[in-house]
Amino acid sequence: MAQSDYTDVMIQGGIPKAEHPVSEAWRMFRRNYAAMFGLVLLGVLVLITLVGPLVYSVDPFEIVWAPLTPPGQEAAAPLGTDYLGRDILAGLIHGGVATLAVGLAAAFITVTIGLTVGALAGFYLGLVDDILMRVTEFFQVLPALMFAMVLVTLFSSSLTVIAIAIGLVSWPPTARLARAEFLRIRNLEYVSAARSVGAKNPRIIWRVILPNALPPLIVSATLTIGTAILFEAGLSFLGLSDPNTYSWGYMIGSGRDNILDAWWAVTLPGGTIFITVLAVSLIGDGLNDAFNPKLRER
Amino acid sequence: MSQTLNWGRGFGLFNKTDAGQASEKTGEKVRNFKSLSLATALVASMVAGAEIQAADPVKGGTLVIGTTQKPRHLNPAVQSGTATAVPGTQIFATPLRFDENWTPQPYLAESWSISDDGLSITLNLRKNARFHDGEPVTSEDVAFSIQTVKDNHPFKTMFAPVEKVDTPDAHTAIIHFSRAHPAALLAMSSALLPILPKHVYGDGQDPKSHSANNNPVGSGPFKIVEFKPGEHVILERNPDYFIEDRPHLDRVIVKHYKDSNSLTLAADKGEVDMYPFVTNTRNIGRLKKNAKLEVTSQGYAAVGPVNWLAFNTKNEFLSDVRVRKAIAFATDKNFIINALHGGFSQRTAGPVVPGSPFHAPGVEAYDLDLDKANALLDEAGHAKKDGGMRFKLRVDYIPGVAEQQKAIAEYLKPQLKKVGIEVEVRAAPDFPTWSKRVSGHDFDMTMDIVFNWGDPVIGVHRTYTCDNIRKGVIWSNTQSYCNEEVDDILSKAGVEPDPDARAALYRKAQAIIVDEVPIAFINTVPYHTAYSKKIGNPPISIWGAMAPLDEVFKTK
Repeated sequence: MAQSDYTDVMIQGGIPKAEHPVSEAWRMFRRNYAAMFGLVLLGVLVLITLVGPLVYSVDPFEIVWAPLTPPGQEAAAPLGTDYLGRDILAGLIHGGVATLAVGLAAAFITVTIGLTVGALAGFYLGLVDDILMRVTEFFQVLPALMFAMVLVTLFSSSLTVIAIAIGLVSWPPTARLARAEFLRIRNLEYVSAARSVGAKNPRIIWRVILPNALPPLIVSATLTIGTAILFEAGLSFLGLSDPNTYSWGYMIGSGRDNILDAWWAVTLPGGTIFITVLAVSLIGDGLNDAFNPKLRER
Repeated sequence: MSQTLNWGRGFGLFNKTDAGQASEKTGEKVRNFKSLSLATALVASMVAGAEIQAADPVKGGTLVIGTTQKPRHLNPAVQSGTATAVPGTQIFATPLRFDENWTPQPYLAESWSISDDGLSITLNLRKNARFHDGEPVTSEDVAFSIQTVKDNHPFKTMFAPVEKVDTPDAHTAIIHFSRAHPAALLAMSSALLPILPKHVYGDGQDPKSHSANNNPVGSGPFKIVEFKPGEHVILERNPDYFIEDRPHLDRVIVKHYKDSNSLTLAADKGEVDMYPFVTNTRNIGRLKKNAKLEVTSQGYAAVGPVNWLAFNTKNEFLSDVRVRKAIAFATDKNFIINALHGGFSQRTAGPVVPGSPFHAPGVEAYDLDLDKANALLDEAGHAKKDGGMRFKLRVDYIPGVAEQQKAIAEYLKPQLKKVGIEVEVRAAPDFPTWSKRVSGHDFDMTMDIVFNWGDPVIGVHRTYTCDNIRKGVIWSNTQSYCNEEVDDILSKAGVEPDPDARAALYRKAQAIIVDEVPIAFINTVPYHTAYSKKIGNPPISIWGAMAPLDEVFKTK
């Protein structure tokens, strides 16, 4: 790419053309090998999660062989069995849906709450900002894991509650980020320009500021998916997983007691979670680099 | 995989030799049971445990007992459970103690006699017994303690028939009952009737929250030095103990551990000398491999812990006995005991554990039979709907005893699916949550562990009698099971002085209960005691570590 292109963008300032930054970011992203590796990794995992159950249809709850059979010993359970004799391979394949769903749902809740709070606070300032930021601080000083545990304990350890609990404890950083972005952008010329032609506040928030504030928020949302998956695993490790839905976290939680005798029951789902979170993080970092103009020349 | 797979034979790896170990002693216990007879007017005075012969006892030394059970306080008169009982039985002496053959032995009472009509028991107390503060133990203290336990202990049936306690002199107490009460002897041992000093506890404070409960004064072999809740209880030798030359040990420390895994590691490393109530079978296996440790299943005959699946008989599906039977038939006890519990648990088909003289052998065992289960469910009018399922039930479990409770609850999910019952496992984050659900009758099925507590009057009646359906009380008849015939037999058995006739009545009641399945009985909790080979005279009486450790010694 020619140097002049960059100068062009800089001269044009913040007035965005709808596709232009996205395709540019994608170009940047593609050049980032680590990020592409993450994308491929996640693609494979999602594919296994979606197609796998059709190919390998063993019910993950079914007891297929002797409990705690090590991997590679029985054809019925190629990756071994857990403490009840359930197939680890079936668990890995079938458990992905729930884990990824929790991750996505929690990230969605995080972004929805965080963005709303941050946008309103950063745009309106004054009393609105004061109130919303005090609320945010209140949530921020609560130890996240403890708070999530209390929520799950108070209601039930169903997957929905777990996703909501994770979302509820992880939105403050997103809110702060959104507020900072809105604070920065609300005083830029193109916002003033929009206002001068008579755009109302909702329109300015929604159509003018938000698209320009999105890139860092997308990065943060992506990383939140990874955090949420880890969070679910953490809650499961503490025994707060949903016993009626097979997830990778649930596998870790139920294998924990036998960790000395059966490493595979914990290590295999743990490794899968590790790979997933790694993939998500690599993608997040890639997006961060791609969206951040200051890093483009690297 | 075939659903009729036989787990016992299918996998050679499950055939552990330990499985039959615990049952070896059963026959002996039943034979010796005659000595429990209340008709025997006088039992010869004999120093307890003198028959236990080991290497010459060594004086001195500290015994460290590891436990995961943290007591709230140390007064067993107002608190049941093993956490209080282990230190409590060291601090407080009881009128009687029992050996490993269910034979009552003199303790604070040097002899006792039972009237011919069974309506009164006379205790002749030792004259040299003193409390740790130097005051003598008198019949007044015995009368006071019986009243305190009767009024405050959760096991209401232990002393409910006591009308009054006469104290003709300082060393004679005569307990009068409104009806014959054969369970009384057992209720006067272990942690069930600690003799409290009236001059300390009789000051008008509520005994349940008495200030002395954390710093108790008893007459037992050890006295309190320090009680740090959640950390340890330090006890030291009572130099004025009423049994000469006892105890052997200088100190007993009950050390509290966070969980069984860390305690197992501590026992493995030799940080603790004794680890009673080991439940997890993998930990048992691990400790058995340690050449410095002995591991025994003896010492739990009286506790009689039964692990079971209880049904709420008011549930729309479970109110039908055929549905309950179907679930019992569909549950593979063989798999649970041999595969999930590594063969360490023991099967019990009825309410009373195999080690007890009141055990009922030969009741319906509900061996795995999926065809029969399906047939029973069809017969009950719950035909399989689309997808092969009939109806849905929830199952609860006590959190914290994963192998006995959660594992089986989770096992039921795929297992009962085979007969068309969808199971939702309802996890409880903590014990109070589970307890609130079950005692509030807000459950369909629940895994549960209930102790026999030696005599059926204490630990068994409560689960089945109609008058004990009490909402809000855990380990009452939360199944809402009511059969007047069972009530009648149990109340007769509770007052029957002849042990053989009594056992026969209990067998009859158990046969009916097992047939009506308010509970699907699964196994006894495989309690084991691991102790260092340096320890002599380990606690193997029917009460195990919930009995005075005055015989125990430790070689260098």
